[in-house]
Amino acid sequence: MFVLPPPPPRYTIPVAYAAGAANGMAVPVVETNNTISHPESGCPLQVGEGTYILKDDLLLATPPPHPSEAPIVNPNPLATVPNPPTSGVKLSLVTLDPRKKPPQFLKGPVLAPQFGDGNPALAPPTAPPAKDALKRRKPKNNIIKSSSSFVSRVITHETSAKRLSDRDPNGVFAFANINRAFQWLDITSASKEDHLTKVLFTKSHMLCHDINELTKTASHLDIVMGSSAGDIIWYEPMSQKYARINKNGVINNSPVTHIKWLPGSENLFMASHANGALVVYDKEKEDALFTPENTGITEESSQLPLDILKSVNSRNQKTNPVSFWKLAGQKISSFSFSPDQRHLAVVLEDGSLRLMDYLKEEVLDIFRSYYGGLICVCWSPDGKYIVTGGQDDLVTIWSFPERRIVARCQGHNSWVSSVAFDPWRCDQKTYRFGSVGDDCRLLLWDFSVGMLHRPRAHHQNSARHRSSLVPPAAPPAPRHRADSGANRMRSDSEKTENFYGDIEPVASHPIEPRSRTALLPPIMSKIVGEDPICWLGFQNDSIMTSSLEGHIRTWDRPSDSVLNHDRRR
Amino acid sequence: MKKGLFHRGPRNGATNTPSPAPPNPKKDPQTPQISPLEKRLQDMGPIRVDGSDKFFGMENYGNTCYCNSILQCLYYSVPFREAVINYPQRTPVESLEAALAQNLRYQNPNAHLEAEAQAAKQKAANPPARQNGATPNQPQKPEDKDSPEYKKKVALQTLPILETKNNSNSYGMSESLFTSLKDIFESLVGSQSRIGIIRPQQFLDVLRREHEMFRTAMHQDAHEFLNLLLNEVVSNVEAEATKQNFTEKALPPSESADSLGLTTSTGSKSPNTTRWVHELFEGILTSETKCLTCEKVSQRDEVFLDLSVDLEQHSSVTSCLRKFSAEEMLCERNKFHCDNCGGLQEAEKRMKIKRLPRVLALHLKRFKYTEDLQRLQKLFHRVVYPYHLRLFNTTDDAEDPDRLYELYAVVVHIGGGPYHGHYVAIIKTEDRGWLLFDDELVEPVDKSYVRNFFGDRPGLACAYVLFYQETTLEAVLREQAQEDQAASAAASESAAQPNGNLFHVQSVPADDPNRLVPIHKTTTAPGQMPVHPEIPEHEPVTLPPLQTSEVPPPPPIPSEPAHALSPKKSDVQSRKEKAREEKEQRAAQKVAEKAAKEERENNDRAERARRKEAEQQRQAQIKQEAADLERALKASKEASKPDAADVGPENGSPRESSRFNIFRRSSRSISHRLSKDKEKDPRMSTSTTDGAPTPVPELPGREEVSVPPAVPAKDTPRLSSSLPTSTPFPPIQENNHFNHNHTSTDSVNVNGFPKVTPKSNGNHDYLPLLSTSPKANHTSHMGISSPISIKSPGGHHHGNGSSDKVGNGTGTTNRWRSFSFKKSAAS
Repeated sequence: MFVLPPPPPRYTIPVAYAAGAANGMAVPVVETNNTISHPESGCPLQVGEGTYILKDDLLLATPPPHPSEAPIVNPNPLATVPNPPTSGVKLSLVTLDPRKKPPQFLKGPVLAPQFGDGNPALAPPTAPPAKDALKRRKPKNNIIKSSSSFVSRVITHETSAKRLSDRDPNGVFAFANINRAFQWLDITSASKEDHLTKVLFTKSHMLCHDINELTKTASHLDIVMGSSAGDIIWYEPMSQKYARINKNGVINNSPVTHIKWLPGSENLFMASHANGALVVYDKEKEDALFTPENTGITEESSQLPLDILKSVNSRNQKTNPVSFWKLAGQKISSFSFSPDQRHLAVVLEDGSLRLMDYLKEEVLDIFRSYYGGLICVCWSPDGKYIVTGGQDDLVTIWSFPERRIVARCQGHNSWVSSVAFDPWRCDQKTYRFGSVGDDCRLLLWDFSVGMLHRPRAHHQNSARHRSSLVPPAAPPAPRHRADSGANRMRSDSEKTENFYGDIEPVASHPIEPRSRTALLPPIMSKIVGEDPICWLGFQNDSIMTSSLEGHIRTWDRPSDSVLNHDRRR
Repeated sequence: MKKGLFHRGPRNGATNTPSPAPPNPKKDPQTPQISPLEKRLQDMGPIRVDGSDKFFGMENYGNTCYCNSILQCLYYSVPFREAVINYPQRTPVESLEAALAQNLRYQNPNAHLEAEAQAAKQKAANPPARQNGATPNQPQKPEDKDSPEYKKKVALQTLPILETKNNSNSYGMSESLFTSLKDIFESLVGSQSRIGIIRPQQFLDVLRREHEMFRTAMHQDAHEFLNLLLNEVVSNVEAEATKQNFTEKALPPSESADSLGLTTSTGSKSPNTTRWVHELFEGILTSETKCLTCEKVSQRDEVFLDLSVDLEQHSSVTSCLRKFSAEEMLCERNKFHCDNCGGLQEAEKRMKIKRLPRVLALHLKRFKYTEDLQRLQKLFHRVVYPYHLRLFNTTDDAEDPDRLYELYAVVVHIGGGPYHGHYVAIIKTEDRGWLLFDDELVEPVDKSYVRNFFGDRPGLACAYVLFYQETTLEAVLREQAQEDQAASAAASESAAQPNGNLFHVQSVPADDPNRLVPIHKTTTAPGQMPVHPEIPEHEPVTLPPLQTSEVPPPPPIPSEPAHALSPKKSDVQSRKEKAREEKEQRAAQKVAEKAAKEERENNDRAERARRKEAEQQRQAQIKQEAADLERALKASKEASKPDAADVGPENGSPRESSRFNIFRRSSRSISHRLSKDKEKDPRMSTSTTDGAPTPVPELPGREEVSVPPAVPAKDTPRLSSSLPTSTPFPPIQENNHFNHNHTSTDSVNVNGFPKVTPKSNGNHDYLPLLSTSPKANHTSHMGISSPISIKSPGGHHHGNGSSDKVGNGTGTTNRWRSFSFKKSAAS
């Protein structure tokens, strides 16, 4: 008989991983440099308007572990110690070039009031006699000289001062998180692989970041970033100043999963936390230990779709947070503000998409994924559609005005990690968006209003055509009311009767069966790397992706591919 | 109410036991180290009779982790556990306890401390001797107290040990793998301790006695073991049923069929058929093959107990399942034998799921045969799996194609290859969250822990078998709400520490009403049920509550007076009395629980009915729309279409009435369902294909003639004598299959189990039944399937890998529906 080698010990320690890896990849022992490669054959993306050619592939260097934080090697793969959260590389891009601004689709200017409008406690202090209207307030602490235990050190590239002064003022800056590092790159420069500065944090990983579009100037950028510890950093890279908000998790100690400046606000930004909290902070305000303000109805409030622990209308606005809402006990994966700046789409690990009127602090609608959690969300540039991606491997299009599912987009082989519209390829009738996922793929999708109303466009050529007779998911509005009783969030058996009454303003929509929902195929699907892709962005001249292990890829658009429609329509 | 009364056994129920021995770890203030599991099990209330509150490790007898992990998964598959316990009938608790008094052995919880002290002494005595054998690391770190090995050792030394022994006689069955499985389950259910370690020695003995391949102490494949176990359970149960039928009564052949379902179910609690494994794990796959020469589409149904899916790097389970149903070309050496145009032809083939199983066992094919190495290799692909799942690859006529599944158990393989390594199970228990079962060790884990085994993390641990069970969105939402509550409770607990414990206690009752929720709902259920034509079929099951209805008040109440007495007497009471009283309590509780369970069942059924109804409604709607369209097209002929005319007004009518109308009009689908239900009956074939010739007798006789001889050949004569029942297959034949297993895993895609041919013969007897039922839908899919579907199972349209296999094993062909639709891994 064939004799097998003796079995190795039950719990083996793979050498390759002994260095301790956060994402399952080997971590270097010393600080290394970013590298760039220009693939010969490229990785062309062929679509109707032409071919997108891969310009380059920039690999960010993963920093070595902090000396004081010697990697804990736990040989036991079954160790029940929870892993600290981390995230693949995401980018925040900023440019001062007006030509690179995405086209606007909204008619007229945005007239939405400011968040907290009408609350005198939030009214800006009577404007101090400003010597310079453009002079921005900077954070207090110098990050280079910081003695904080949170920041490990800052590495400034030797040429960065020169590069900053020589650069094209209309170039594009990129900010990227990788492991415990946060890099500042100039991606329009010739040596784009060299960082301008690199901030290393001691222990925490930055999971998300955002740049304030309103306050950006040639000498000032307001960046907020959320960390795995819950702490938030307000960072101004030009002056290398920073401030800490939610220090040591004093307001909420769960990881920050997504962070965005409130549209049209200089100071306020919103952060979602892994424990289901959605918090608005003011970058200028100090922290204070947070105690829920309306504790009177705790018993029921945990069942409401939105638990307002601190309202924006609260009189107490001396300290952070500005507002504190609890959406669920589950992780909030992501959120996105509507172009009209009035609405908010939030996606959660529990599989729900919640549409909010955040100015009024109300949840309007709750939709659910086909199954599994939702991961990413974005709005179409005209605010009519919302696109989500999730653990059902689907990208789903929802109509905001009609409050219904429009189509499910099938094409990914794994979870969808990021979706984005390409405003340069959208007009009033047709939309282009892209999606990336854990399957290492980049997919591009086109849809038009007319096309989506066609029922099940590519129904399998089966013997039965009965489903092709189904009209395009006509929104059975009266049915919702009656059916959704079972699907309501508050599906507590005792309270079921209440659901049939109209006291409930929140519409919880049932899941549409597969046979009634339009299915959309991608126009392009391509494996673009060997590790999961976690971010996707469209620029006026390129498509960019970034991956778990730090590959930032840039594709040039084919010439003349940007739709030349009238921007001010 | 009953919570308070039972309060004396809060931690692990050990105090409830009559045995004097147990020094309860909780009572000893010196040892405050309460294990994480015990912490998770706080406030469990009284010992339950359904076994859902038992969390036992399993002793590993040297590479028996494959068995332990699968047994744990099956134990926490609630419907499976209940069926095993209740078939053929439930052993009375009293006799269980009598047996357990000898089997449950409490140990000194401080044993390991003493042992350690001794070891330390020894070490102090002669340290150099020890160093010789040890690795250089060991002297500094004598023993890592966090290592699983250490924890297991401690567990083995301190926790109560539960032995199992053969109890098959009391079931009226001869000893088999099924009875020893039942022994294990019943011992667990009857145990007075909530935690401990069970020794599946006797189960392994039986397994090794009957299956040669398990006799070595070598590593085995957990998935193969699962498949074997389920098949064995089926054949044991069926064999026993057959035997009993022979011995108990000489049935007149005509009557036998009708009575079979009932005779086996005289014990009111038992599942009334032998088909409970089928009903849980079995689904039906349809392979549609389209001959590219004559364009004829043929269908063939296959049953499966679990699905094996090929893996791809960076994919998801969803995508693997989709690939599984992707179109495949049959060409070159793998051509399809088309009966229509005769001879081997190129064809397109795809597999779809026609009937979804209630429990979906997904086997991720991590072990792939590599040609150059001449052996299996483990794939460390990152394959993500969501907590919830729906299947995309269903046929158009599948019932409830949008069925929602939830992940409840994961078998993880740790190791670099298929020939060695370790298996553990991570299981979602009914009300105590996720637990890790690592042989002797049981540890509570986070929900997110389940996601550590996608295959991308260090440590070589990957999910290998996933168990998904059907659920509803409602249930999911309820659970999420509970999780939210627990989270906020935990938050407030950490915020207000002095009250923390109080909070915790309060949060648990919050769970309890939820467990009882079904009861509230059932008040409405009976009203709904008569509407549904399906219910009467299950009447036998719902009957028992009538007997229990002598205990008129809602379940919890009867247990109360019984308890109120106990504290008074407790001092005087002799142990016997106490035991008796406990028994009474338990009996009362059992009755209550049973009622509750029945109600839950009813509720489930109602839920299912509701879902079916919704589905039906949808279909009706679709039909209606079709009719509308037709009507519009043929407006002139409207008078001749009263049906369509009917539809018009309904559009505006309220939903309730339209629902009834749908019922009235959609007799097609009802009858379809009826016939489907019949299939569940043991008398009817699971395979529609075998029945196909019967309703459509006018079809070309070629295939039909060829089929019956090709299929049962030897069996037929024997069968005709024992018509209605299924003849079990000799277990020996299975070895055939299993001896090959290591080399054949790749080609085995669907590990279905015997489409037990004898039954299909039985089917012929029921022809009248079938034909009387309005069978529009039924025949329609028969119609499609009939032309070719009846081909001999060894036909060429199996994948190349399996066609060899099928070809040589004439006996096994029908037994093991193992074939591949993918090109075999080698190519």
